[in-house]
Amino acid sequence: MEAMVAVMIAVLVGTGVYLVLRARTFPVILGITLLSYGVNLFVFISGRLALDQPPIAGAGPSTDPLPQALVLTAIVIGFAMTAFLVVLALRGQGETGTDHVDGQRDDGGEA
Amino acid sequence: MTLAVLVLLPFVGAALPLLADRLRASRTVLALSAALMPALALVLLIAPAGLVFDGQTVHAALPWVPSLGLALSFRLDGLALLFALLVLGIGLLVILYARYYLSAQEKAGRFFAFLLLFMGAMLGVVTSDNLLLLVLFWELTSLSSFLLIGFWSHQSAARKGARMALTVTGMGGLALLAGVLLIGQIVGSYSLGDALASGDLIRASELYPLILGLVLLGVFTKSAQFPFHFWLPHAMAAPTPVSAYLHSATMVKAGVFLLARFYPMLAGTNLWFDVVTLAGMATLLWGAAVALFQHDLKGLLAYSTISHLGLITLLFGLNSELAAVAAVFHIINHATFKASLFMAAGIIDHETGTRDMRRINGLWKYMPYTAVLAMVASAAMAGVPLLNGFLSKEMFFAETLESSRLGAMSWVLPLGATLGGVFSVAYSARFIHDVFFNGEPVNLPKFPPHEPPRYMKVPVEILVALCVAVGVLPSITVAGLLAVAAAATLGGELPEYHLAVWHGLNLPLMMSVVALVGGVLVYSSRNWLFRQYARLPEINANLIFERRIQGLARGAAALSNFLRNGSLQSYAAWLLTLVALVLLVHLSPAVLDGQRALLPLDGVSLLAGVMLVVAALITAILHRHRMTAIMSMSVVGLVVSLAFVRLSAPDLALTQLSVEIVTLLLLMLAMYFLPVRTRMESGWPRILRDLLLSVIIGGGVGVMAFAMMTSDFQSISGYFLENAKPGGGGTNVVNVILVDFRGFDTFGEITVLGIAAMGIYAMLRDLDLLSAPSDSLGRPWARDAHPLVLVTISRPLLPLALLISVYIFLRGHNLPGGGFIAGLITSVALLLQYVASGVAWVHRRMPGDYHPVVAVGLLLAGITGVASWFFGHPFLTSTFDYLYWPLVGKFEVASAMLFDIGVFLTVVGATLLMLANLGKLSLLDDKAKEGA
Amino acid sequence: MEHLIIAPILIPAFAGMLLLLEVRERQPLRRFTGMLSVLALLPVAWLLYQQAAGGEIQVYRLGDWAAPFGIVLVLDKLSALMVLLCTVLAVPALLYACRADDKRGANFHALFQLQLMGINGAFLTGDLFNLFVFFEVLLIASYGLALHGRGPARVRAGIHYVVLNLIGSALFLVALGLVYGTTGTLNMADFAVKVNQLDGGALELARVAGLLMWVVFGLKAALFPLYFWLPATYANATAGVAALFAIMTKVGVYAVARVYGLAFEQGALAGLGRDALWIMALLTLLLASIGVLGARRLGEMVAYTVVMSVGTLMAGLAWSSPESFGAMLYYLIHTTLVSGGLFLLADLVARGRGKLGDQLVAGPAPAGRAGLGLLFFIGAVAVIGLPPLSGFMGKVALLQTVPAPLYWLFLLGGGLLALVGLSRAGSTLFWRATGDGAERRLDRPRLLATVLLLAAAPVLSIWAEPVLEATVAVAAQWAQPQLYIDAVLGGGA
Repeated sequence: MEAMVAVMIAVLVGTGVYLVLRARTFPVILGITLLSYGVNLFVFISGRLALDQPPIAGAGPSTDPLPQALVLTAIVIGFAMTAFLVVLALRGQGETGTDHVDGQRDDGGEA
Repeated sequence: MTLAVLVLLPFVGAALPLLADRLRASRTVLALSAALMPALALVLLIAPAGLVFDGQTVHAALPWVPSLGLALSFRLDGLALLFALLVLGIGLLVILYARYYLSAQEKAGRFFAFLLLFMGAMLGVVTSDNLLLLVLFWELTSLSSFLLIGFWSHQSAARKGARMALTVTGMGGLALLAGVLLIGQIVGSYSLGDALASGDLIRASELYPLILGLVLLGVFTKSAQFPFHFWLPHAMAAPTPVSAYLHSATMVKAGVFLLARFYPMLAGTNLWFDVVTLAGMATLLWGAAVALFQHDLKGLLAYSTISHLGLITLLFGLNSELAAVAAVFHIINHATFKASLFMAAGIIDHETGTRDMRRINGLWKYMPYTAVLAMVASAAMAGVPLLNGFLSKEMFFAETLESSRLGAMSWVLPLGATLGGVFSVAYSARFIHDVFFNGEPVNLPKFPPHEPPRYMKVPVEILVALCVAVGVLPSITVAGLLAVAAAATLGGELPEYHLAVWHGLNLPLMMSVVALVGGVLVYSSRNWLFRQYARLPEINANLIFERRIQGLARGAAALSNFLRNGSLQSYAAWLLTLVALVLLVHLSPAVLDGQRALLPLDGVSLLAGVMLVVAALITAILHRHRMTAIMSMSVVGLVVSLAFVRLSAPDLALTQLSVEIVTLLLLMLAMYFLPVRTRMESGWPRILRDLLLSVIIGGGVGVMAFAMMTSDFQSISGYFLENAKPGGGGTNVVNVILVDFRGFDTFGEITVLGIAAMGIYAMLRDLDLLSAPSDSLGRPWARDAHPLVLVTISRPLLPLALLISVYIFLRGHNLPGGGFIAGLITSVALLLQYVASGVAWVHRRMPGDYHPVVAVGLLLAGITGVASWFFGHPFLTSTFDYLYWPLVGKFEVASAMLFDIGVFLTVVGATLLMLANLGKLSLLDDKAKEGA
Repeated sequence: MEHLIIAPILIPAFAGMLLLLEVRERQPLRRFTGMLSVLALLPVAWLLYQQAAGGEIQVYRLGDWAAPFGIVLVLDKLSALMVLLCTVLAVPALLYACRADDKRGANFHALFQLQLMGINGAFLTGDLFNLFVFFEVLLIASYGLALHGRGPARVRAGIHYVVLNLIGSALFLVALGLVYGTTGTLNMADFAVKVNQLDGGALELARVAGLLMWVVFGLKAALFPLYFWLPATYANATAGVAALFAIMTKVGVYAVARVYGLAFEQGALAGLGRDALWIMALLTLLLASIGVLGARRLGEMVAYTVVMSVGTLMAGLAWSSPESFGAMLYYLIHTTLVSGGLFLLADLVARGRGKLGDQLVAGPAPAGRAGLGLLFFIGAVAVIGLPPLSGFMGKVALLQTVPAPLYWLFLLGGGLLALVGLSRAGSTLFWRATGDGAERRLDRPRLLATVLLLAAAPVLSIWAEPVLEATVAVAAQWAQPQLYIDAVLGGGA
């Protein structure tokens, strides 16, 4: 199980890194999202893996609850950031007339 | 303490002319207000001067920044006294002169203010008893001279000259600072007295060559020594009173002053001799030779100044005490005759409207009085007997004969000196003959010229009288001052010397004669020389320098823009490369030393894992097909949620799922406006680079994840499991952490959400966006906006969804759930109404502005936190109790629940604020299209 | 007054929330609320600084949970100084923005307040994950503020700024995952203790965590090669925002100082990444001074001086002696206030020149040329580090305490390049003016705000001794991490 989770994280981070290096806002948004999935999983597993041990007090053995709380916070913040970026991309499209991350128009000029 | 006051007086004085200018005072009053403080300073100088003549050194010190070793400490010894007299005395004469020189339109108040600032800085340089203070004043002279040289800022030459002077002398100042700091390190103090007493220590230090180099860089730039001489002629763009001041007694003399000041500390080595003498000799010859060929009166004087500074430098370089005395003497003499010459040149410029010596001829007829003054001063400059220049030049010649450092080549020094003397006589002759005789004036802008106003001549008269008095009766006039000044320079006993006009028939006298005769001969063959000179390529240092600087600036811009190329891809690549480097260098197989037992892998999990990997790869590969990419990415999100379920994190699974839905909605809305497909833009090299980065970083993080998962560790989480129920009143430990143990994080987190919503609102307001009119295949969008099926299903769903939210919210403290998830579910339900029924329909039924919802949510959370203060606890301390509700039974009420309501409201408000406004945008867009 | 320590976070937080409630866009009311908040922060920050200067490190346990389990705020001399500096900067910055710039987009005042909340939170928190949260607060607010107003240049710069920082946030989370996964704690003091008990693979992972943090903080501080986003972002932001942003890079510097001082100054990972930071700092200094020389707009030039100062500071930090740290803090105060003032000044000049704005080409003289010229002269002298203003004192202090030839060369040489660049700029803007521009009067409150910030240059110079004594005292406490650790974990831990 651990190896598979590690591979999942690696793939998520890797694809995320690749996509944030693209030239258009849209893949960058996708990249940031994939990157946060991977990173959130990474923070999550810092509490080690456990099966069927939800962190409910008094209900038997329990997995580490703290990383879960951290990831929850991180998910929310990540959501806020992604939303902001999406709208910023729209604003960029509106003001520069292109979705290129540097505001370059397809004809090569700048807005 | 008088001393400290007196040094600072000119700075105070700088305000007076500005004030007078405000009051629209006449130029006379302005000049008087400017002269007030320097005159007072001169008076105050009398008492300490007496002590100095008695052989004492007067000290005054105020603490300033002891941590840095910087103190407002001043010393008045002979050298400082000499310079203070020059600075203040000539300064006063320049003020008087400027009163007549400046026209009524000039901003005289500002001029005098700058002049006094400069005067104060200069006075500070010569009286500082602290090395750092000296550097401070030193740089102040550069700064204030920058303002003075650029005073006529509408002239390009003035601006360029000012910047050049500032750049060159500023560079020297920085070097001097470094040198002084090194001296301070060796001596252990920045007191000048300590430093002067530590000459042996410094000279023995291995840092000595470096220190000497740095200090000399400061000296040479300031005193315009070869090869840093080029700025000085261009500083002539300044108004003539400034030139008379800066280039006779002050600015450029600061450099040679420093040679005198540091003489006991740095002089006496062969290195000193070689560098200083060589620079001095080169400057002396170069300046003297070039001066002859200047057609501009002030240009001639400028190069002559360079040459005389070279002479003084050379004298200091000789490592002989007598030579140092001669140098100090020449400083005095040069100051007097050069100041008067500049003033005379200014008068001529003023009266004729030009400074071109090819046009100004025969002025003897028109202004005989000025002519006499100028001729006497020129003669002093040439070293004619019975004038002060002769005396110091004799000493100079004598000293060049004494040196034996160059061994068999020792004859070079007297030869060079004589050659310099020849040219000096030649250009002095030119100044006299060309200007006052040599036929009639040619086409003067102002004709005929007159004698200047009476009082404009007074400063020149005084200075010329000094030249004569010193020249005739040196032992009565100057000997005392020279003795104390020289003694202070040498820091010990004075050598034997005689100030006399007649030393008998000796070699130096012969050299003088050769110089005089040779000079006249050179001058008489001037026409031939000018023709030769005219054939040389013209070198305009101003242009070259400016071009160099412009080239430098262009190069700088090119380099900056090469690095900061405006491409996010390259910035991100820098960042990620740095990360990849960290991982490559520091991640070794050694991290995989964990001993933790592995969990079994079941088939379903494996399948999900494979799905995630495939979906993520599809997203990355097909990102240019945007709809496909969104779909595959949502598969990734789904699998992540499932992973959370499998790995005992139900809260996370719920959160991830609901966030996923909202994000998806958001992306779909955004897609409405963004291009649906894009062409391939990255070339293969870039794709390979990015793949490499992805593999390294992805792989690195994966390895670290595996390393962590497979090793045991000690954590603080046991505390949370134990205290959740007794301390926090809930059994869902994750929720208790969120609202209680780490409620402050949550407080920050919902603030982030709220701010994001605000920022999004701000960005969307007044944004003009038009969507693509059709989808990628060219099909127009369907116009029936709100499908009936969706409307019918969604409306009854709303109350149901709200009910579920309440349930999720309430159980959150004990079982998976809580304010955040409940908030998202509510938002999704409401957003569905937007999608199904349209913005307009919803807005008729809902508040249009969600700002207050966010605000109330945040306030509720904040106030819950503050409320605990009233029970004497820190922010966000929770309390809980159990209530018995009819039907429901025992029910726990925690203050954390109020906090959680705040979270709930913020989430709902923020989500709706974001999406509803985005939705509105599409509504506007629809209307625009329908209208069209 | 035990709760006073949280006031620098809560005052702007509540002000921001109340401003959100005010939906009718009554500008005067919004301005009043905003100003009231920053003015209230002034005495609070001063009082806190006084308390901290007494030498006792105060710990505020949020939710009344003991460290390392709950989150704590920690007020030591360093954090108190930073909070005070931020507040002193915020007042003129807001004053300036209140003259119409705040109307150029929605929610300016709320964003401004929440920005302050984030900055102060980052300075005060004693918990690494909470630091992440406050970083996010200050970042998201700064995104909003940077984009305040309109214009494609601003949006372009904004996209770069946002995306880079989002990547940075992801990296920070990776680092935090490693921190928790190895030491099992998030509290800074506890981390400092536990990291020294690690060995084997866990220690290696903690090393990577530390280095990743340097990358993240380096991005915030704008260290080479991570500063490329800064010039465009700052030069295109509205003036008041740019002025406030002068402290944002210092948050990065602070974060390195805090974590390094606690966990990596000594112990198992002593000197972690110090050499790399040193080299990056020197390169930053060099390249930014080249940037100053090559800048084509005044705003861009000032932005590059900010980057220069980051290089200067980070080198002083990487030298990591208490003496150099004290000198570095003096320089930090100086550069924050003076660059803030210069951003405002650049805007004043741009306003007076019509379409040309702050481009460094000859044009009409800005209104109030003499006064602005004088202010520019003062600001330039200070920022270059020429005497007699604060920059000189700061540079002398740094040169004395960081005796490394390369640093001397870059610091002094960089000063020379800045001198050439700024004297050219000043000459073009104020001297080469072709006739007087539109004779509009300078706006007094704007001028006041600019003067207030630039006044720091002479004030910090005249009173250099007390300020230096204070920063040296801060440094002395910083150099004894055990004091901090004991205060947070209670002597026995």
